[in-house]
Parts: sequence; structure tokens; C-alpha cells
Amino acid sequence: MGQIVYAAAMSHVLHPPYYEKNVGPHGKRMVEELIAVVAAMGRELAARRPDALVIIADDHLNVFSFDAVPAMCVRIGRSVSRMAQEGAIEFDRALDGLAERYPLHEDLAQRILEDGLEAGFDFAASWSAPLDHAFLSPLSVLHGERPMTPLVPFWVNCFVAPMPSARRCYAAGQHIARVVANGPWKVAVVATGGLSHFPELSLARVGESDPEFDRRVVGWMERGDHESLTALTAKELHTTGSHELLNWMVLLGAVGPVPARVRFFGEMGRIDLAALDWDASP
Amino acid sequence: MSRYDVNVLLYRLKKDRGFREQFRRDPRAVLAAADLTDDEREAFVRWNPRRLNELGGSLHLVLSIPDLGAH
Repeated sequence: MGQIVYAAAMSHVLHPPYYEKNVGPHGKRMVEELIAVVAAMGRELAARRPDALVIIADDHLNVFSFDAVPAMCVRIGRSVSRMAQEGAIEFDRALDGLAERYPLHEDLAQRILEDGLEAGFDFAASWSAPLDHAFLSPLSVLHGERPMTPLVPFWVNCFVAPMPSARRCYAAGQHIARVVANGPWKVAVVATGGLSHFPELSLARVGESDPEFDRRVVGWMERGDHESLTALTAKELHTTGSHELLNWMVLLGAVGPVPARVRFFGEMGRIDLAALDWDASP
Repeated sequence: MSRYDVNVLLYRLKKDRGFREQFRRDPRAVLAAADLTDDEREAFVRWNPRRLNELGGSLHLVLSIPDLGAH
């Protein structure tokens, strides 16, 4: 019987030059502290020896276009490449120098997809979508010099309205947990993104965050108050710039209403940074 | 508002270098066949990312077009 052996969520631009340029020395220091925490979490992840790592993140209009935006998408196939973007924005410079291909856990991905469709989750499937910073920046810090755990990348549409609801994302996470429980594998689950930034996805408001909202949300996670979290509306997520919490909702559904441990929380101004983990042992 | 057309153009500007170069040389000609409102067309021609964003252009696209990004 399979088991979720590790569960965590964290911000996903783990790239000091980005914050140095856009926030200053204080931003750079804060993300360096976060990177040290995530690296330590990665050593704990490795100690659990997972067979597969489900990573839940969003696309920044790098992979999917307005021609079709899946609400949720499972990456299937045997391997996945790092996104190549000429003239990449600083976010994606975090990818420079990383390996170009990564292994996928084909069997777990296929089970999540096929059992999902059977259970009423109309997930999209992609054979070709590459990974941007939302996946590879945290994965590279978590793994350090260790080989990459076979991945199951899972995209949630966080940015192109209408987005899936917090409740639906949570239900997708519950589905992932059922698939894991029914399979033979030890699985890590990691969600990325956030905390609040880019309120209303408005260029005029880039630079603002909502620390009060972030403290409330993190407090709910510490208390395992998933009712309050899944009751968050699309409007609340949009107004506060918390779109990427949808990725975290999937993870919350996968771990169930147990208290989170806050490993890092920092209020930067432009964005608030965090890393949390959940005791996933049975 | 032509949310789809605005974003298709922004996406192409991000991903297609040849298209981007044509756009920089002669934006009006490149946009001639696009189904845009006058307001949207002007925001492209004058390259006003903030206005494009207000008109429905995805923040993550207007931030990340090589050499034209608003970041």
C-alpha cells in the first residue's frame, strides 16, 4: 500500500538576483534565508526515499497559451525538459545552468490521470509541456546535488480567469491521495508559489503584497483549518494576489486537515515568502 | 474588449522573435489584420504595457516579452 511520505509547500522564485534587482539587499537576504531552509527541507525529503514526487505548480503563460488553458493538467510520458525561453524574464533565469531533462514517474502520472477521469476529474494530459521556474526553482534547491526524484508535474491554472475553485483544487488533492494509497509507491507531494503578490494581476500594482491576508492564511494552515482555506473565493484570491494558493489547495487536499509546520515566513513587501511542511507519516 | 486577440498577440511577441522584429519595425502593419479595438491597437502601437494590461492583457505576458517587457 502506497503512502505520502513527504509534503511541503513553498514560494517558487528561489533566485536572489531577482529580489536584489527588484527589492534590494533586504529582498536578497530574505530569499537567501528561505533557500537555506528549503535546502534543509530537501535533506529531510531525501531521507524519506520517495519513489516519486508530485509537484503542483502553475504556468506563467510559458507553456499553455490562450488557445487552450487546462484547469488542471497532468504531465505524462517518460521525461520532461526544462523550459527554454530566449530573453527570459529574471524569474526564469533561475533555470540557467540546470539540467535540460528530468525523469518522470510514468506509472503514477498515468494512474492520477486515468483514475481521475474515471472519478470525474477531467484533467488534461500533456506529453510535451516543459517546466518553468515554478517547478524547477524549488526542485533544484530541494535536491541540491542529489539526483532528481522521478516527477509527476501537475499544473493548475492560477492566472487565466476563470480559474478552478479552491474547493475543486482541494478535491483534486484528495484524489491524488487516494491514488497514492491504492498504489505501491512512496510519494512526496510539493506545491509551489505565493504568497501574495501581483494583486489583481495588475501591472500598476506590481510591488504590493497583503501581509495581513498571508498571516491569516498561514495561521489557518498551522491550525489545519481547511474549511476556512477552501472557502476562499476567486475574488479574494485575485484581490490579494494569492492566485498561486490554488496549487497549495491541491496539496492541502492530499494531506488532509492536519496542522502545518511553518519553516519560513517573511514579509518582503513585493511578495511574502513562505515554506511549510506537513507531517505525512501515518 | 478583444481579450483573446490581445493575448494571442502578446504571446506571439514573447515566443516568436521574427514576429517581434517585424512588430518593432512596423507595428501598424503587423497589427493590420488583428481584430482589435482602436484603444487596443493604440496601446500596441505606442507600446504601452500598462494599458495593454488594463485592457485584459495577461500580466505575465506583458512582463516577459524579450526587450519589450514591462518589468
